[in-house]
Order: sequence, then C-alpha cells, then structure tokens
Amino acid sequence: MRANVWSGRNTVQVENVPDPKILNDRDAIVKISSTAICGSDLHLYDGYVPTMKRGDILGHEFMGEVVEVGKGVGTLAVGDRVVVPFPIACGNCWSCKHELYSVCENSNPNAGIAEKMFGHPTAGIFGYSHITGGYAGGQAEYARVPYADVGPFKIEDDLTDEQVLFLSDIFPTGYMGADFCQITGGDTIAVFGAGPVGQFAIASAVMLGAERVIAVDEYDYRLQMATARAGATDAINFRENADVVEQLKELTGGRGPDAVIDAVGMEAVSGHGVVQAVDRVKQAARIESDRGAALRDAIMACRPGGIVSVIGVYGGLMDKFPTGAFMNKGLTLRSGQCHVQRYIKPLYERIRKGDIDPSFVVTHRLELGQAPDGYETFKHKQDDCVKVVLKP
Amino acid sequence: MSKVATVTVLGPREEVERLWHELAAERGADLQASFRTAPGDRGTEIRVEVPGAPSNPVGQAVKKLSGDDPLAKAKDELRRFKQLFETGVIARSDGSPDGPAVERQLKQRPAQPLEQPERQKAGV
Repeated sequence: MRANVWSGRNTVQVENVPDPKILNDRDAIVKISSTAICGSDLHLYDGYVPTMKRGDILGHEFMGEVVEVGKGVGTLAVGDRVVVPFPIACGNCWSCKHELYSVCENSNPNAGIAEKMFGHPTAGIFGYSHITGGYAGGQAEYARVPYADVGPFKIEDDLTDEQVLFLSDIFPTGYMGADFCQITGGDTIAVFGAGPVGQFAIASAVMLGAERVIAVDEYDYRLQMATARAGATDAINFRENADVVEQLKELTGGRGPDAVIDAVGMEAVSGHGVVQAVDRVKQAARIESDRGAALRDAIMACRPGGIVSVIGVYGGLMDKFPTGAFMNKGLTLRSGQCHVQRYIKPLYERIRKGDIDPSFVVTHRLELGQAPDGYETFKHKQDDCVKVVLKP
Repeated sequence: MSKVATVTVLGPREEVERLWHELAAERGADLQASFRTAPGDRGTEIRVEVPGAPSNPVGQAVKKLSGDDPLAKAKDELRRFKQLFETGVIARSDGSPDGPAVERQLKQRPAQPLEQPERQKAGV
C-alpha cells in the first residue's frame, strides 16, 4: 500500500510499504477513506519530538471502512464505516475504566521509554513516534487498529467524511479543553491558538455556555475564521500588539479571563522579539524542548482562582514556568492528550443534531500522494491553510 | 544487591495469583513475586525482587545499553503479565512487534507494517 512516511526533519514522502495484517485477536484492519494532517504532526515534521525513526508512517486522524476483524472483536463487522480515535486504549485497565483513555496502562509496548521521559507510560498513539508505542499511522491506504472493540466508532448516518473525520482528534480535543474550564453562564474564556484545535475549543466553549470567547493568534485569516465560523466574540492578533496579557485585561475590565485554553503547545511563538529569540535558541540548542510563550501568558492572564487548560502538545521541558503567578493566584492547571473515546459519542450526537458542522475548518483537500505539499503548506500557513484533508 | 519491580493489576488477588502461576513457564525469567491487595479497589499489587543487578553505575549502564538489564527485563515481564491478565493480548506495535521488550526498545523497527518473515519471527 501507499503511505506517508517521516524521512527526517522537514521531510515526508509517500512510499510503498507492506499492507497491515491482524497481529492480535482484538485487531481490525481499516481501509482509509479520509485522513488529516494534525498540528501536532508538525511537531514530528519539525523534528521536536524524540524517538522518531525514518520510515515511520505518520497520521493519527483517520476514518474508513472495516475490511478485516480479529476473532476477538465482536462489535465490528466487515463493511462498517468507522472513525478511529487517536489514542489506542485497551478498555480494561483502571485508567480506561475511569475514561482516562489517553493514559491507558496497556496499549504502549514501549512503556519503558515513556516511563523514563514522563515518570509513567502513556497510551499508544497512531503514527506519533516510538515513545507512544511505535504504531504505524493513518496517512496511508490501510491501518491496523488494535483493541478494535474499544476504539473505532461506527457512523451509521449519511454524514460526509469531513463532517465526522475530526471526531478522531481535534473536535474532542478542543471540546475537552473547554470542558476542563467548568464553564458556567457569563464566563469569559480566552483561547490561545486559532488553529484547528483552537477553532474547536472556541466552538465548544460557546456550546458550553461561555458568554465571551476571545481568540488569540498571529494570523488574521485564522482569527477571522474564529469570529465568523467558530463563534469567538473578540480577537487579539499579537503581531499587532505583543502584550496579550494587558489586552486580555482590557477586554475583561481588568479581571482577566475566567479560564484560558492553551491550544498552541511546544512550538509557541511570542510577539515579543527577544522572548521569541531566546526560546528558539534554547530549543534549537536542546536546552529546552518546549517553547513556553503561550503557557506563560496563559498563566499570567488568567484571573485569580481561574483555570488554565492545556491541550496544546508539550513533549519535555520548558524554561521559566511562572510558578509564582501559578501558585499565588491559586490557579488550577488541567491538561492531557484527549480522552477521545469519552467524548466521541456525545459529540457525534451534536453533529447529528446540527449543533455544529466540523467541516468548517477544512481549507485544503489533497490526494494522499500530495501529502508532502500538504505538510509544507500547513507548516508555513500558505494559502490561508487551516486544515488539510488527504484522500488515499 | 537486589532491586524491586512492581505493577498493579486490576483484578482480585486470588485470580491474579492463579494466572501468575499458570503462566510461570512462559516467562523469560524466574521471578519470585509477592502479592498484596491494593487499596481503593485498585486491584492487586505484584512485587518482584530482582537479584543480580550490578551495584556500580558503570555496570548498570553497560547492562542497560546491552539490553541485558535484569531489572528492565523483570519490568517487561510484569507489563506483559498485566496486559495478558487485563486485556487478553500482548500489546504489539509495528515498532515493537514482540510487545514490551527492553532489547527492542533500543532497536525499534520503523512504524510500518511487518513483512511475513518478521511476523513469523514475532510469532504472529
């Protein structure tokens, strides 16, 4: 089959690789109909996530048709149309039983590596380095899906692929970011990053009853999508005024947002040239793996007693975490890779009811063979790119 | 010098102990385990004393790099046992088709599907 593989920093290529086979009774094989490039794939592409190997198949947002099921999978049949959650979760361990699927205790065969980096292992993830298991990803014609009785979610309506594909990751991820904020009527939520996950965090905050949602980004076209499509009430472009914390205070009568969602992660940029330069040098020199501009501002901007919700991906260590502001303002920090399996059904119902049509983020549709172009366009924000969908 | 490997398995102590003894022959190492019920319905804690780990840091580093670290191997065995007890299968990825194995962690294959000879070697 053809698959998009990582071939070193800033390089991916579509190659012929072996077809996947069932390796366990609880596996299924899915023929992929649509797959997407995620913002977190760019962290791999840019070379900031350790434990990548040349030849790794990328991609963790995919859906398609079940073409083979292991004998231990009683919930799926050949021909079923499914969306596959990006965390690989067994459904049996204590964490899965408590809906903490992205920290499944059994699905990562490279638990030893993860334990050294994070203290404990985390779940396997499709196409997302070897620290999350070394699983082949979904930017391919076929994928093997382990624990197929737990992950894949059947789509039985005539909704289009683009309406349901993002249930695999970015819609539930954005929703979880808003869910963490414990929104009550009248709340103001700031969302750092108006990329695809940020757009869904904004839309979810609106769905959960936030009165004001402030989008923060450096690209006007993304802020425009945030206000016109996702439902943000205000927008801050930090290239026009780098002092995001002051602007958020101005917009909230000095209080600061009740909660701030970091939908940016480890490659954050700052409008302050010096801060940005220092972080970039440290990251390039491997003194820090995670640039902290967004998380620092989130902590500084959040009102005392508020919540900082981190759904942007971080991989290792960042410098100058503002512990003083975090502690003295009495903030709550919540975070995690999304527990997709927890949210997928209720969000599917939201789509069916017409509360949201997630396809609004799609700006580019490419054939799988054009994946390298898609990565470049997405990385450099060319052609007003927000979301790239690939068709195998 | 002995070191300790531990894991918590979600199941009642009698069932965990029974499967542990049933699978003794399949384990790559002869491990003497003790069992204790975990608090708060968390299952059963398994504790294994691992003799023979080198006491000096250089020896430990060499063992780790060569993939011959008895403590790491014991942890692998506990992970595999937990997987079998809780899920019924060993977690196999394209990078680690044999499941948890310290030797393989140092020599990952690329995350793309296995050819037939590799599948045979992994026993799948």
